[in-house]
Amino acid sequence: MQYFWLIPVISFIAFIITSLIGNKILKQAWIFPMLAIVLGLGIYCFGLTEYLQSRFDLEHCFRSSVTGMVGCNYSVEWFTAGVRGADSVNSFLGFTVDPLSLSVAGLAIFVALMVQIYSIGYMKDDPRFAWYYSVQALFISSMILLALSDNFLLLYVAWELVGLCSYLLIGFWYEKPEAKEAAKKAFTVTRLGDVGLLIGILLIWIEVGSFNMSDLFTQVGSGEIASWTIFSISGLLFLGAMGKSAQFPFHVWLPDAMEGPTPVSALIHAATMVAAGVYLVARAYPLFVQSEAMMIIVSCVGLITAIGAALICCVSVDLKRALAYSTISHLGLMMLSLGAFGYTAAILHLLAHGFSKALLFLGSGNIMHSIDDLNINRMGGLKSVLPATTILFCIGALSLAGIPLLSGFWSKDEVIVSIVHNRNIVFAISSMVLVFLSGFYMIRLIIVPFFGSPNRDYSHAHKLPFVMLAPMGVLAVVVVLFGWIALYMPGAPASFGTFLFYSHPKNFHLEPDIAIITLVITLLSFGFGYLIYVKRFSIFQNMRIKARLIIEIVENKYYIDELYQILVDKLVLPAAGLVALFDRILVNDVGINGPGYVTRTVGSIIRHHITGRIYVYLALMTTGMIVLGIIWLGIVIL
Amino acid sequence: MVGDSDSLMNELYNIMAFVLIALPLMAALVFMVLPNLTSKSYWLLSSIISVITFGISVFLFMSYDTLTGGTQFSFTVPWLDQGINISFGLGLTGISASMVLLNGIVLLGACLISGDIEKRGRDFYVLLLTLGGGVFGVFLSSDLFFFFLFYELAVLPMYLLIAVWGSSTDFGSFTRSKEYGAMKLMMVLVAASVLIWVGIIAIFVETYLHGTPTFAFEELRRLSENGLFSVEFQNWVFLCFMIGFGVLSGLWPFHTWSPDGHVAAPTGVSMLHAGVLMKLGAFGIIQIGIVILPLGAQTWMPLLMVLGIVNVIYGAVSAMSQTDLKYIIGYSSVSHMGYVLIGAATLNSIGISGAVLQMFSHGIMTALMFVLVGAIYHRAHTRDIYVLNGLIKTMPHICVLFIIAGFASLGLPGLSGFIAEFLIFLGVIKISFWIAALAVLGAALTAVYILRLIARTIVGPVDSSLSDLPDANIYEKIVSVALASVLVAVGVWPALLLDSINVGVATIMSAL
Repeated sequence: MQYFWLIPVISFIAFIITSLIGNKILKQAWIFPMLAIVLGLGIYCFGLTEYLQSRFDLEHCFRSSVTGMVGCNYSVEWFTAGVRGADSVNSFLGFTVDPLSLSVAGLAIFVALMVQIYSIGYMKDDPRFAWYYSVQALFISSMILLALSDNFLLLYVAWELVGLCSYLLIGFWYEKPEAKEAAKKAFTVTRLGDVGLLIGILLIWIEVGSFNMSDLFTQVGSGEIASWTIFSISGLLFLGAMGKSAQFPFHVWLPDAMEGPTPVSALIHAATMVAAGVYLVARAYPLFVQSEAMMIIVSCVGLITAIGAALICCVSVDLKRALAYSTISHLGLMMLSLGAFGYTAAILHLLAHGFSKALLFLGSGNIMHSIDDLNINRMGGLKSVLPATTILFCIGALSLAGIPLLSGFWSKDEVIVSIVHNRNIVFAISSMVLVFLSGFYMIRLIIVPFFGSPNRDYSHAHKLPFVMLAPMGVLAVVVVLFGWIALYMPGAPASFGTFLFYSHPKNFHLEPDIAIITLVITLLSFGFGYLIYVKRFSIFQNMRIKARLIIEIVENKYYIDELYQILVDKLVLPAAGLVALFDRILVNDVGINGPGYVTRTVGSIIRHHITGRIYVYLALMTTGMIVLGIIWLGIVIL
Repeated sequence: MVGDSDSLMNELYNIMAFVLIALPLMAALVFMVLPNLTSKSYWLLSSIISVITFGISVFLFMSYDTLTGGTQFSFTVPWLDQGINISFGLGLTGISASMVLLNGIVLLGACLISGDIEKRGRDFYVLLLTLGGGVFGVFLSSDLFFFFLFYELAVLPMYLLIAVWGSSTDFGSFTRSKEYGAMKLMMVLVAASVLIWVGIIAIFVETYLHGTPTFAFEELRRLSENGLFSVEFQNWVFLCFMIGFGVLSGLWPFHTWSPDGHVAAPTGVSMLHAGVLMKLGAFGIIQIGIVILPLGAQTWMPLLMVLGIVNVIYGAVSAMSQTDLKYIIGYSSVSHMGYVLIGAATLNSIGISGAVLQMFSHGIMTALMFVLVGAIYHRAHTRDIYVLNGLIKTMPHICVLFIIAGFASLGLPGLSGFIAEFLIFLGVIKISFWIAALAVLGAALTAVYILRLIARTIVGPVDSSLSDLPDANIYEKIVSVALASVLVAVGVWPALLLDSINVGVATIMSAL
């Protein structure tokens, strides 16, 4: 475990090598990043085994009194600023290995490996193939750093670096105006959230005097920090999490981020980076649980995001954007779960969703690769053209819809259980609605593109290379087995709930009544989808016409993008223009040029008395003397 | 014989600070009397000189012993002691060590990049070296009189450098001629230095009246600790220093000389202007104002902090709506120097270390930006971001480095700007939550205009009129890659600079 720092470092070296010489070995540019990640996976597996076997007797490992989990910490000093010993700030390069970081790092490494293998086929004709792989390597490096860091400063560093990679990869095809705008939007929007995160970190330092997470949690646990401070710090951190995890009202960047290459969407914008916000809330959970108000806010934001995005997903015709809204919806569900004290459930769902959604995105990549189109209404009947993709896509989709035995079923069930147990009836009913919606949009995304009659000519469809299908197959196996393994794997850890938990381990078990209810709702939504998209019942067509207005609002994403655009165009930019004008006209032309002008004008007026004529000088002199005399007399007399 | 050469080395070692200042100034003098050579040979000669000064500045920086601390490489020669006690004194402190390094780097870059100067080559390099030598002098002086002398020596060449070798631009609704830019810069800076001079004379007179006339920092500092300067006196004089030095750092509302100066100045001069000249002001506030007049500093720092945060936000918002590359970077400098000012205004060691690190970081970053903007302007003959587009296709090298500089500017971790700004935030939040919040917001605003700039000019479809422009030449490549490497090195390993800065800040803190 003490070698975990090598994982980001190796990938970073791969990034540097590939950036420098990538274009010379263009077609083989994947070698170094891939080598780095395979090595990383090796180190990770080695460390994981070590952790599982001997976490209780290693020197750097101890059980946290707050979370109850065993964490192993390793750190070296990074820099000190200020006067040493007196008024200074010390920062450390430190990492922590505990179940949470192991889970998220494991997800990142595994999905990244699959995506990188897949990309060999998907990106092979791209002129910037080398650049693609070098940014991927940088991303892995920073994502692992994000998962492992044991202090908030280092976490922020990694947080911004993954944002940079996201920016670079969304704008990968930067000649396209949409891509460059989407990249700009993604970075700017998340950066706004990061303002909150950074201020939160500053406040933590003021309160605790260090950036170290466990220092903070110890102080929070001992009740030394005022509840108002806890509320504001957690709220500020949550702002950052909302930006990264695309929670309402910061969600607008994620659908546009689909302009990037599809494997990137699978890795960064579905499985790993967008989950960083959820990870942050889970990381800072000891802080969040101390503030009941904050937990309610987290739940509400999660719920609003989940339902709002799920509705959009039901009407979106672009396959990747639909999947993006589904991602937003599931991230909202994780937040909701965290807010409802479903800590383990949220992380389990994070993992299950990560695997499944990566699979779905790679599936949509296959479609993109073979027919170069993403509009689901122009597909139909793909199952005969892409049979393997159809099966793999269905596994991912059914998993997220919550069909038993697939991983999404187990995690979703746990999430619903925690919501029903810890939140009121409104949340419970809303989460059932959510189950219905996610079942419905998933069946729609299965039926419309893959089944039914073809809406286009597929004779020019490209064949899929094995290198693209193989990693999807591996992912699909994981999607099928993961929930089962996590909950019922024999031996240690007995179940995910005894491995990763907050404050006390809990044994996961299926709650039959809730499982049955959700299953019935899901099947109902499937039936509903079947009637609409296969049977095409006219009653639904009529409903569609009657509810035109509502559907239009949803299709236009509630006009939130337009609202922001108006805000920027009508408020921010004119204000900036006004400031610039103020600067030029008032500050410069009046404030700076003004004195110069006055000096020159006064000079050119008073120089007229310099005439060169003696009698004028004599007259002025005499006048002056008389005036002075009068003044003198006045002073003497008075 | 061995002993002799040892003592010679020792001798040389001790006067290294003097050599650093004297070399460029002497070279400038020699250039003036040299027979008329071609511009290219003056360029070559001054490049060699600046390579040597760069070497010396690296040497001084590396040799500064952080364990001993204090003032090292001291060198004092009495100059006028008829009851006035002016001496030519030099010395290297923890803060000036990194500032000297900054000037060594930027001066070398500015020389190398100016190879295309054809017009009156000799005069250009004479002035450039005078400027560089003056800046070294300011950072190394340990006597107020010579501090001011070098200060003027550094500022005055700017006028000619801009007025003769600059460029005039028509912005449609208004024009900015190089004469206007040069004149304004000079008028504003000279007015500011009058304030500084008044402050220095006031300090001297105060010491004279108490029978201990002196200009030397150490002596003044000792007198100040003994309570020679009353609070009222300190309040007045510090205000003079704050405004006077502040103007040179682009203090709002006296900042407009800076963007207009950039727009008119040639590339090498812009680099020195934003890279080191604007740092002199902040250096003066920190190294002289706070140390000699700590009580005055405590009185005025709230005001400086408010003005500084106005700089940050106002500069960033102004940059958002500019259309000229140099104006964007000019206002960006105004914004970033605001961080330096609020960092200094915290009067705590973290904030001041952050301010000094920000001075270094911003100096390198903005020099890099001006190299690249100059290169773009040189090829495309325009700086209008509505005309330039898709440049990365034709100038990949320039554009990639521009993106790196841009991300350093918006405070991306891993590049030097982040650590500097972060330390300043930490220093500020100890004083005021809301100022810190605004400062963090300012960094987000930076992202808005930097990304807008990148999206407009660097990426996107390329215009046919721009599609056959050449990429960077060898000198631009060397300079830009070197500057970018410094940004990365300091960003990844800030202890490189912070170790010596901390020592310097400790000295300052002990005065408070």
